[in-house]
Amino acid sequence: MAVSRRGALLAGAGLGVAAVGGGYLVATHDKPEPPAPPTTDAQGHLLWRNWSGVQHAYPAARLAPKTEAEVAEGLRTAVVPIRPVGAGHSFTALAPTDGTLVSLDGLSGVIDWDGDEAIVAAGTRLGALGPALAAKGRAMANLPDINKQALAGALATGTHGTGAGLKALHGDVTALRLVTPKGEVIDCGEHRDADIFQAAKVSLGALGVITQVKLKTSANRRLERNVWLEPFEDALAKAEERWAKHRNFEFYAVPFTGLAANISHDETDAPAIPRGPDQDTVFLDALKGLRNVLGFSGPLRKAAARALLGGTRPEKAIDEGWKLLSTERPVRFNEMEFHLPVQVQLKALAEIVAVIEKERPDVFFPIECRRIAPDDAWLSPFQGEPRGSIAVHAYYKDEFAFLYTLIEPIFRRYGGRPHWGKLHSVSAGQLETMYPRWNDFLKVRAKLDPEGRMLNPYLKGLFGV
Amino acid sequence: MRLLAAVVLVAGLAACSPPVPPAPTPAQAWAMAPADAKLATLYGESCKACHAVPGTGAPLVHDRKAWDPRWKQGEAVLLDHAVQGFRSMPAAGQCAACTPNDFNALIRFMAGREDSAS
Repeated sequence: MAVSRRGALLAGAGLGVAAVGGGYLVATHDKPEPPAPPTTDAQGHLLWRNWSGVQHAYPAARLAPKTEAEVAEGLRTAVVPIRPVGAGHSFTALAPTDGTLVSLDGLSGVIDWDGDEAIVAAGTRLGALGPALAAKGRAMANLPDINKQALAGALATGTHGTGAGLKALHGDVTALRLVTPKGEVIDCGEHRDADIFQAAKVSLGALGVITQVKLKTSANRRLERNVWLEPFEDALAKAEERWAKHRNFEFYAVPFTGLAANISHDETDAPAIPRGPDQDTVFLDALKGLRNVLGFSGPLRKAAARALLGGTRPEKAIDEGWKLLSTERPVRFNEMEFHLPVQVQLKALAEIVAVIEKERPDVFFPIECRRIAPDDAWLSPFQGEPRGSIAVHAYYKDEFAFLYTLIEPIFRRYGGRPHWGKLHSVSAGQLETMYPRWNDFLKVRAKLDPEGRMLNPYLKGLFGV
Repeated sequence: MRLLAAVVLVAGLAACSPPVPPAPTPAQAWAMAPADAKLATLYGESCKACHAVPGTGAPLVHDRKAWDPRWKQGEAVLLDHAVQGFRSMPAAGQCAACTPNDFNALIRFMAGREDSAS
């Protein structure tokens, strides 16, 4: 009998209560909240912290400009280092500063249209952009896993969704406006200050503050979303054909279960079947429970996972793409993601799952595998060729050093490029070998910001400045 | 006898305290906004995504049953939770532009305690 994921998990939990008594308490046990930095520092500066909590700072000053003139004036006189911030979703230290934090929240909304290209204020959250574009019958071609990011922050780090024929978000930017730390306003595009444009499309907020971008849009179509579980080996064997077949396809390898969760989206004219409440959080809680109770035995944990999850019913939804492509992720985590040559992505994934199952029984988060089409931005991780991304997560209350010691060496060995906003330890010298236009980017950066006013210590190290 | 009288008195006083308003419907919650325009903008860009949607795990705006136990911890604790992040709530509710006064006002609004503003 096929049941929903929620039904299977609740039934399993009920059996646990009846049969194992205290096992239920162990399953649902959660660690206490990790200690947080104080709300203010000794000078009374307010705490800034990223989404996961791994980065924090006490900026001496904060700006929240509402106009481009305010951005220009603010940057000219700001206490350095100046760091722009969107929604704060990056895990790397791009935003922390003890100088000036520039929030983009005051620059929000669709400013204008040029045919089917939308001119969008840089601080617009992706979740707000979806309905704004839909009001004109348009949509972004693709969306990332979450839609909480500010547009400029998402572009700055090469944020992407999945789809073998779909570029990362910056691939659809046709022009942008950049305010430099000297307060100069530069409009650039493919045929206007083209070097600055190719540098700025993915630029880690290091060249100044982007205030608006011009985005290609697609027709706002309905998509059919399907989610289904199957054995991990089958998902590996069929992934390539699914990437070729579906508009959007990705899958999650779930360690210690022998299972994978597949997600596909394809255009349809069929009537809407709304998505319904989020099931992923229930799923994650079950995986955490299995880890808590059966973490001491991989085989028992796998057997229990198969018993609990193996009969779950596939999910189907049909709706406008912007309502389906992103997912709520209320459970916080820390993450490392690398983008690998497509020929080796699945081999690397198999190795990562094997090493986690051998060495790290505390890990329970699924591992996300996606495909992204190439583009030409100088610091795009998809520059010059399509890439396959693999993202490994650690629950925000769990230790995550294993990402650096166990996972990153595998990514590096397979020629991966790190996601700019996710944890990595790749250095300037190594980045130079990964990116053919690395030195060209550094030249543009030095020209636009000769005094390094936009550089915090992390960026200085990253750029070797 | 005195003890019984005291119990009856306390029960009577409790019965006289104003009833807690019912939680808003999903549509009502989504439509709510702080009266101040600046706060309404900050709220719409950050807190609303979780606090105006049932089932996210965040206490629903103006749901006194959910908020009253939290309110009893004191505004200073709630400010710490908001600024530092707490459980599923990311630090500052992802509002980098919000000041401590903004957070306090937003918390009072969401808790249905706008009348507590000093």
